[in-house]
Order: sequence, then C-alpha cells, then structure tokens
Amino acid sequence: MDITTDRPRADLAVIGLTGELDGSNFEEVIEAGRAARDGGARRIVLDLGALTYMGSSGLVAIHSISLLLRGQEPPSAENGWQAIHDIGNAEAVDSEPAVLLLVGPPPSIERVLSRSGMLGLFPVHPDRASAIDAASLA
Amino acid sequence: MADATRARSISIEAEVGRLADVRAFVREHAARAGADDETTADLVQAVDELVCNVIQHGYAGDQGRIEVVASQSDDELAFAIRDDAPLFDPTTVPDPPVDLPLDRRPLGGMGVHLARALTDRFDHRMLPRGGNEVTVAKRLRTVTGGLGDGHHDRPAEG
Repeated sequence: MDITTDRPRADLAVIGLTGELDGSNFEEVIEAGRAARDGGARRIVLDLGALTYMGSSGLVAIHSISLLLRGQEPPSAENGWQAIHDIGNAEAVDSEPAVLLLVGPPPSIERVLSRSGMLGLFPVHPDRASAIDAASLA
Repeated sequence: MADATRARSISIEAEVGRLADVRAFVREHAARAGADDETTADLVQAVDELVCNVIQHGYAGDQGRIEVVASQSDDELAFAIRDDAPLFDPTTVPDPPVDLPLDRRPLGGMGVHLARALTDRFDHRMLPRGGNEVTVAKRLRTVTGGLGDGHHDRPAEG
C-alpha cells in the first residue's frame, strides 16, 4: 500500500491510499494521520478511491484517526489487541463532530463500512474536490 | 474445469505480512470457479479476517502455521482455515454493536462479524490433531448469473 499526504491548507490534510489496506499496514495509516495532526491539520480527508482491498484493520485505522483529531490517543497494537477492543467500554470524553471525511470507497469497501455501521459516522464524498470543499465549510 | 495441477491449499507462517498471499489464493480459486465480483470480494474479506484473527489472537505473536484449503461443490465455494492455536470457536463470538457513536464503539472487533455477515456458512470444528478448522462458504454466483458448473474439488484431507 502506498500512502501520500497533501496539504492544500495549513489546517487540512488529504491522505491518499493506494493498494491493499490490511492487518500488516493499517498502523502506517494511523501514523500518517498522526503526522498530519501533529503538523497542524485539524481536518483530514482520507481518500479510499484507489484502495483495492480494506480489511477490518482499516476500520481501526479510520476510527483511530478520528480519535486523534479529537485529541484522544487510540491504543496501539503493541499494547495488545484487547486494549483496542476495550476502548469502546470507556466513557466518552468528547462528543464533538468528527472532522474526518472519506472519499470514494469502491463498492466492496463501502460494503465493509456499511456492515460495520461506520458508513453513517463519517461524511463520504465522491471525489477529493468535494471533500476539500466540505472540509473548508466545516 | 478445475486445473488439477494447481494447489488447492496454501500454508503460511502466522505473520500478517502473508495476508496478501492468502487473499491472492482466494481470488485465484474464486476466479477458477467463475465467481462474480461480489462473491469473490466477500470470500476474500471473510478469509482475510479469519486468518488475521488467528495470527493476532490465536497465535498472539507466537510462531505457527495456518493452512487455507479451497473446495467447491455444485453450488458452493468454501475455504477451510486450519491452525494449531489454542481451541477457539469464532462462531460463538457475539456480533459487536454496530449502531453506536464513535465515542462509545469498540475500536476493532469487526473481523468475525464481517466473516459471518458476508458468507452463507460459518463453521468451526476441532481438528483431530488439535487446533481449529474454521470454514466459510458462499453460494456460488457466477459472472454469467448462474450457479457453479457442477464440477467438484475434493477438499484436502485434514
């Protein structure tokens, strides 16, 4: 999987993913999100349009970036997968709207997002331009 | 017709870096069976999720091997995932909550749910030698809109 990060504005990052996102590389996506946030991005557009596969590890990456943008620290896999599964048991400390926007998931990936109940939790845009416009208005 | 010279199973080390090989194996067999895109994508997803679970939870970082065996009947394409990890039946895992807001939903835990949701059959048995065999199968819809061509691939002996 290839990851690119563009910064059309100081507070906005566009992360593009190409190839297959799975259990071997999802942490790279989280780190790209973390780097963007640490670099000043307050909104992130995650372009899924060139992904040919996304496992449920990709859902973890998307969820983790959303938490990072809210100022929360997702558990790392190095701390054990149980910690990752348990985070949902913690009480929410921040209920601000997500500032992560998704672009162009192919049908098979949209089905994964839908089946996991995550499709309705993030704005989904057909292309980068409309997502960037929406992020500018958010 | 199936090419008898092609392997009907793949054996990998329990490492996430081998997941791509497993997906390629599933895609190859789905293509040979003439499966349509959705059937192929669902089986690739289900097998990938279950193999990833064995690596992350079954072996939990320890060394081990995982074998994936493809089989086809008249109207079903199946993949059996065999391991030597401690006994664990993923079919008993309850579905996670999928309607919670981000703040309250578990981070992860969707793999088994997807495997169950995307397939028509999801079974577990303990292997005679110990270890687990988890099978996912899907009714075979072909690119021509019909069922499979009726040839049989006998699964490898377990």
